[in-house]
Amino acid sequence: MTGWHAPDHFVTRYADGSLPESDAWSLEKHLECCGTCAARVSRAVRGAAAGVVLAEVREAVLGNAREAVPGAPHAAKAAPRAPAAARKAHRARPWAPGSRPARILWAAGPAVRGAWLPAVLLVAVGAVALAHAGGLPDARPWLLALAPVLPVAGVALSYGPHADPLHEIAAATPSAGLRLVLTRTAAVLAVSLPLLTLAGALLPSSDAPGAAAWLLPGLALTLASLALAGHVGVRTATAVTGGGWLCAVLGPVLAAPGGRLTAHLSERLSSFLDGAPAQGGWAAAAVLCAAVLATRRPAHHFLEMR
Amino acid sequence: MGGHRETDEGDSDAALLRAVAGGDSAAMAALYDRHAGWLHARLTRRCADPEVVREVLQDTFVTVWRSADSHRGEDAGGWLWTIAARRLVDAWRVQQRTARLRTAPMEEAGDDCRPAAPSAEDRVLAGLEYGDVGTALDRISPELREVLRATVVDGLTTRETAWLLGIPEGTVKSRAMRARAELRAALAQVSPSPMGGPA
Repeated sequence: MTGWHAPDHFVTRYADGSLPESDAWSLEKHLECCGTCAARVSRAVRGAAAGVVLAEVREAVLGNAREAVPGAPHAAKAAPRAPAAARKAHRARPWAPGSRPARILWAAGPAVRGAWLPAVLLVAVGAVALAHAGGLPDARPWLLALAPVLPVAGVALSYGPHADPLHEIAAATPSAGLRLVLTRTAAVLAVSLPLLTLAGALLPSSDAPGAAAWLLPGLALTLASLALAGHVGVRTATAVTGGGWLCAVLGPVLAAPGGRLTAHLSERLSSFLDGAPAQGGWAAAAVLCAAVLATRRPAHHFLEMR
Repeated sequence: MGGHRETDEGDSDAALLRAVAGGDSAAMAALYDRHAGWLHARLTRRCADPEVVREVLQDTFVTVWRSADSHRGEDAGGWLWTIAARRLVDAWRVQQRTARLRTAPMEEAGDDCRPAAPSAEDRVLAGLEYGDVGTALDRISPELREVLRATVVDGLTTRETAWLLGIPEGTVKSRAMRARAELRAALAQVSPSPMGGPA
């Protein structure tokens, strides 16, 4: 702050666009740090030809703002102006396009709509079918090894320009970023947790860990992917966590001598999943990732730019 | 909507932005009234297409509404301009992409968005009335000046400048170098006593 303020003839000539370039440059630099002169110039511009445009944009921006309050529970879309009558009509019919349930369904969209849902179904049904009809009695360890990766893959497919054809539009809404990622992750978990656990329970039990043992690791890996996504992007983050799990579980098994793959895998999984210390560790990891996610929220605002 | 509320000079920009981050639409209105005018004027100087200017202005304030909580206490005006400048570059890239798909007579429409060069009259006025730097700036060619404006005044990167002006990055670099050299020479002519060259 120098105490210098723009002379009046600068302000009026800048507002009507006739101020020479070099003076305009210094005025522009000054406006960036002086609210008083900014208000003076803005007032002058409103009084000039641009006044109409400014009033129209103002209404569009504020209409949008009133409709979607950031952080408020009902923020879900950013259509600049929806007439009040139309909004009332939507409230009457819960599944009409633009109504709240329909918007939530839309927000959950890509994860449960794309190739991922058939893939999860295939794994679950395939595991059960193989175990009962295909003469592969020890399918549960394999399901348990794959299960934690499936929700992570669902997250990767749910957000970003590579996964969502509507991404450009979605990214411009007030609920884009972390909010939308969390909504879609919830959709992914709601589908995959019951389905895979049920499939695991239907499989004949061997000495592998219980059918629900993968739940905490799955949750921890999903939250870790989200926490990482704020820094390296959704795709890289899910590749790191999902790939990391597969390497840790399958790597030593495939490298182990002897042909008893399933037995090796069973042992390996037991060390990862069985017992209170292991499950407690996964729970702690999930809580830690959730805490990182909560404290690093701003990093997710620009998720769509990575 | 009634008339514009007079800007309340008492609220600092930082306080307004905090209120906006909390979802206060009255603070948003005050912020808009204080800053939209000069942003519009500044965008208009850089882009002659009023539709693009309008779109960029609206995008800018929608972005502000959405991410006011990422404002970290820097000057609000500078922060707003950074958003607006990036939006302008984006809008210009989109327009170039569509212009490439159009046929020959439509190509002129794309040229609309050139930064407006000052009229000859303005240049004479500047030479007569204002200081040495202004005179020196007005002696360098418009192509060099628009590169200086984008990089020095608007704070765009070399790549963004290249997108905005529709020239290759290498050209931006060489023009920026030439602009500096010519400015130094022009300054030496205007005032025989050597002054510090522009950074």
